[in-house]
Amino acid sequence: MTFNVSDVKPLINDEFTGEPTKRALQYISNQRASGMPVVGLYCGYAPLEVIRAVGAVPAILCAFADKPIPAAEEVLPANLCPLIKSSYGYIITDTCPFFGLSDAVVAETTCDGKKKMFELISSHRPMFVMDLPQLPDEAEARSNWATMISKLKGFLENTFGTSGTSEGIEAEIQATNIKNRLIRRVYEYAEKKPPLLSWQELYELSYLAQVATTEHLLPIFKEIFETIEERDDKGIYYGSPSSPRVLVTGCPVGGDSTKVYRIIEEAGGIVVAMDACSGMKPFLSDIEEKTGDPIGAVAQHYLEIPCSCMTPNTRRLTELDKVIDRFQPDAIVEVVLHACHSYNIEAYKIMTHVKEKHNLPYLKIVTDYSEGDVEQIRTRVEALLESI
Amino acid sequence: MRIAGIDIGSRTVKLAVLEDGQLILSRNTMTSYNPLATAQELMGDAVFDVITATGYGRHLIKGHLDCPVISEITAFARGARFFSSDCRSILDIGGQDTKAISLDQEGNLRKFEMNDKCAAGTGRFLEVMATALGFTIEEFSKAGLSAGKAVKINSTCTVFAESEVVSLTAQGAARDEVALGIHKAIVSRSIGLLKKVAVPGEIFFAGGVAYNDCVRVLLEKEMGQPVFVPSDPQIVGAVGAALSSL
Repeated sequence: MTFNVSDVKPLINDEFTGEPTKRALQYISNQRASGMPVVGLYCGYAPLEVIRAVGAVPAILCAFADKPIPAAEEVLPANLCPLIKSSYGYIITDTCPFFGLSDAVVAETTCDGKKKMFELISSHRPMFVMDLPQLPDEAEARSNWATMISKLKGFLENTFGTSGTSEGIEAEIQATNIKNRLIRRVYEYAEKKPPLLSWQELYELSYLAQVATTEHLLPIFKEIFETIEERDDKGIYYGSPSSPRVLVTGCPVGGDSTKVYRIIEEAGGIVVAMDACSGMKPFLSDIEEKTGDPIGAVAQHYLEIPCSCMTPNTRRLTELDKVIDRFQPDAIVEVVLHACHSYNIEAYKIMTHVKEKHNLPYLKIVTDYSEGDVEQIRTRVEALLESI
Repeated sequence: MRIAGIDIGSRTVKLAVLEDGQLILSRNTMTSYNPLATAQELMGDAVFDVITATGYGRHLIKGHLDCPVISEITAFARGARFFSSDCRSILDIGGQDTKAISLDQEGNLRKFEMNDKCAAGTGRFLEVMATALGFTIEEFSKAGLSAGKAVKINSTCTVFAESEVVSLTAQGAARDEVALGIHKAIVSRSIGLLKKVAVPGEIFFAGGVAYNDCVRVLLEKEMGQPVFVPSDPQIVGAVGAALSSL
């Protein structure tokens, strides 16, 4: 799948086009060189505003490549989620540059595999494991999670010898909201039929926006909007007006598992929305401002992330409805990583919901990071798109 | 106009040519390490105006013939309707895939399920199991049908099941009872897929495994629905591909 004209100026036009990890690595290295401590993260539940308020820079740790999995399987069971195996493999083979730069690691009890994997890597870096409430609508959930976030703040302050204030967290909340609104403005161009940007560009933007501050992103956004408005003026679009629009939901997708996006496009579809923590989920809502309790506001915001570890995860359906309404997909593809039981089981609810409420064709793909199932996935995806 | 379809499967390559709504040519041969050459040989002197490819080798053929391709799922959905004009539930057990498909009244694809990437419970599985028991494929099916009771086989993984069969025969289990157990295992796995999609009424059974009477009989019994096997169950995908050339 390509743009309708050649030589389209990339959305983020720098020397790292097509290499979001290298761009993030350079950003984090520069921040660290200026004296900022680095906090390694594995998950969207890590409260970025608090990490920034204590003067640290967040880094998304490596978890998306097949390469370190054989090393991981010397210790971990083979029938475990590839994201967990990959994360662990990167640490024991010392090949994750972001981990190399990290002064501390924040982890969350999202699933059993991650919890136990964190125990195995806890000796490598100062680590704080956050006990994530998994019944988010219970009355205690918010206060328990706020307590965890306060404890995290204390851990980071002790580890780095810095301090964060309520005002600082409030300022970060407001900065996040500005960033998220700008990103949602970019998404408006993915809503267009046909879209004005590719999934690679959306993916690169998500990747950078999770680590960079709003202040540093503002000039990049200025250029992004110039580029995209120019595309609009010149009638440049991605795919074709007849390409089926595909919304991909489910587990985080990155690195080697972007094979699914690639296959969808090779089969003639366009990925217009990525409903996952690796895609659009972190940016779709705002954090409440000026509550007088910024930690409470942050706690509320993150608890609302509809990960399948939550139960009953009704918010996943209501959020999915909004994403479907915005991006107008012709089909839904759900990516489930091997042995991710919660997404795999929840997939049944998603399938039923999108078929009954939206009358959309749905395909669940259970996969890992290897290339071994590409042709099998292709057959299913082609059949899905042929059925539209 | 003569329309053709070629289905390059994992075990066999099939060619169908239709004219005026009639199947006028049907050929099949074993897939080799060079499926392109096999397909070209199979097409040989066949005369047709347009051709569409399906099956695992479809993109390989597309690169050489510059012809359209469709997925096996769509091909079976269309092909099944050629042989049974009102069928709505389809089971195809091929060499390395099992597909369960349901159609709406008009014949549009409604739902489909496929086995995972391994060949568990497929035609290849039956071949390996028959060999492990010293049967030809035909003898294997007959042995299953004649057995009074079945020895339970727990695995449909070709590798695990083979070692399970070796253990059972080493313990003195009767060969035909093991054969029935294997057939039950493959049927039970197929039903797992079929129940996710099937609608009441006749089940259209296609693919090479549909030649196996023991599988058909067990399927009918377990599903409680009539099972229809077309005269040439292997050609269904190629016919579906041909029909989509129109």
